[in-house]
Amino acid sequence: MRRLPVYLVLDTSASMQGEPIAAVRRGVKTLIDTLRTDPYALETAFLSIITFNTNAHLAMPLTELMSFKEPDLNASGCTALGEALELLSVKSDIDVIKTDQNVKGDWKPLVFIMTDGAPTDDYRYGLAEFKKRKFGMVVACAAGRNANINVLKKITDNVVQLETADSRTISAFFKWVSASVSTSSMKIESGAETGLLSELPPPPPEINVVI
Amino acid sequence: MSFTPNIPNASVNKEYSYLITFPPIYHGIVISGIDKDEIGLEIESITENSFKIFGTPIKSGTIEIKVKYIQEGLFSNKSKEEIFELIINPDPRDLWKDLPVPDDIEYKKENEFTKCVIPQKEGLKNVIAASKRGRSHAQEAKSRDDHFKITFNPDNEWYILAVADGAGSAEFSREGARIACETVWEFCNQKLSENQDFDNAIIAYKQAADSKDEAKELEARKVIGNQLYSLLVMAAYKAHVAINKEATQKERQAKAYSTTLLLSVVKKFDFGWFTSAFWIGDGAICLFDMNNKTAKLLGIPDEGEYSGQTRFVTMSEVFTDSTALFKRLRFNIVDDFTALFLMSDGVSDPMFETDFNLNNYDKWVEFYKNITENQENPVDLSHEKSEEAKQALLNWLNFWSPGNHDDRTIAILY
Repeated sequence: MRRLPVYLVLDTSASMQGEPIAAVRRGVKTLIDTLRTDPYALETAFLSIITFNTNAHLAMPLTELMSFKEPDLNASGCTALGEALELLSVKSDIDVIKTDQNVKGDWKPLVFIMTDGAPTDDYRYGLAEFKKRKFGMVVACAAGRNANINVLKKITDNVVQLETADSRTISAFFKWVSASVSTSSMKIESGAETGLLSELPPPPPEINVVI
Repeated sequence: MSFTPNIPNASVNKEYSYLITFPPIYHGIVISGIDKDEIGLEIESITENSFKIFGTPIKSGTIEIKVKYIQEGLFSNKSKEEIFELIINPDPRDLWKDLPVPDDIEYKKENEFTKCVIPQKEGLKNVIAASKRGRSHAQEAKSRDDHFKITFNPDNEWYILAVADGAGSAEFSREGARIACETVWEFCNQKLSENQDFDNAIIAYKQAADSKDEAKELEARKVIGNQLYSLLVMAAYKAHVAINKEATQKERQAKAYSTTLLLSVVKKFDFGWFTSAFWIGDGAICLFDMNNKTAKLLGIPDEGEYSGQTRFVTMSEVFTDSTALFKRLRFNIVDDFTALFLMSDGVSDPMFETDFNLNNYDKWVEFYKNITENQENPVDLSHEKSEEAKQALLNWLNFWSPGNHDDRTIAILY
């Protein structure tokens, strides 16, 4: 079976403490609960969570939705976005099954990155590694005004922004990610992945597309 | 820090068993929240501190398991209560909806269709075929896009088999597939009834092949090739034209009617079975013979050759290169065979996955056994059972393959 790998790369630095990280926890839970009721997603989507603060961590390895349990997310430390991109690259190399003569490999992974700040590490190596891999849709979300959009723009053309990083906007973001995974797991059947934001459901008013 | 058990998720209709063991400082543990009648799971105490949750869940959702206990303290015992969550996944099979297609849609077609053809003559083979709307279409109240037509003409003893798979992304592909099957059938049936030229060319070829004279055989092969071209390729071209005509009449683009086509004409001669095929798009046509241990694909799946890009009868570029069209033609003369299969990719994708597997005889044996020895819906391919077999084949098309829920169509000459 061709799986649809989905990577959530989430900022858990100190600035996310309190309401934002609680909203992220709830968001991940809602995301899983919603996708569990979608037959396409339940059969094909596999989810992994990478968090980053002073270092990058694999909070949840690539797991089918059936067995997925939300990891406990806590906020502290700096913002090692570069290391997160590097870990994502390494993990996707191991996780994603390539097509060979006997099996059709996995679909190209979807990646959703969320950060509320600017990288505190030298992100260039991680970014270069990330760019070497073929991902499907990559969406970067700047949560609040302190996120560095220019850095996110270097990762992907698909950058969205939340005006503030609070429970309302973060919840809206995760609902939109959930709808996007649903749509993608359905659409891959008919082929044609362009990796453009226009393939996803239109974002709600809380989410601004950065052009 | 309090104790947090890592309770694995359960799933509806899947047997579940998990042993939960509390730390020794927990006493008088009372667990509630697991109701057998409501969720299908029960809990049993194994020792004072360990409990087994087991059973087969009947309802999905997040269950809150309440645990009351006394925690032994240094100076006093505290009565405590904690809540643990147990997630029960739905059975994906229950999530797929089977919504009826609205009555007022253009080009309405049955959600499933099955047919068998039994020639009334000793030594001839039967044909069964079945086609079923995919779960992805049923989920959205959309129509089946696949189509097939199978016949045997008792006057000239030709079998004609056609399967077409309307493209999922094309709005009226269900009609494109129907027009394709009907048009190629009509054209081939008329051509084969008109005169004996094709039959004679086949007989001449067989004689040339038997003579072991290579030049003669090559010459006769060319004649057959030309005859086949003017039969099968022209039939497909007629389908192309007919679909374009319909599109033009409705002021639409032919693309909206995109469909693949798998076409085969077969006849039994005194010297053996003549099988021929022409195929545009994905899916598979295979001449399968268990006695000689061979599985011959009668064409090249488009996917392999053209890197992921399926071709459709509606594309005019398909018909502009006659050399390429010749390459799509196949014919064989064999003493006998087990089965000739034509199928849409709704069947070949989940069953074979890759072109490499489609060319692997062992995979075809597995496939054949999957049909005939299936645990849930076996199809008895013995001759006298063809009437029953067509329904069984339709049931077989319900096979479960995660991520593969396209329309499914298969025709078997056996």
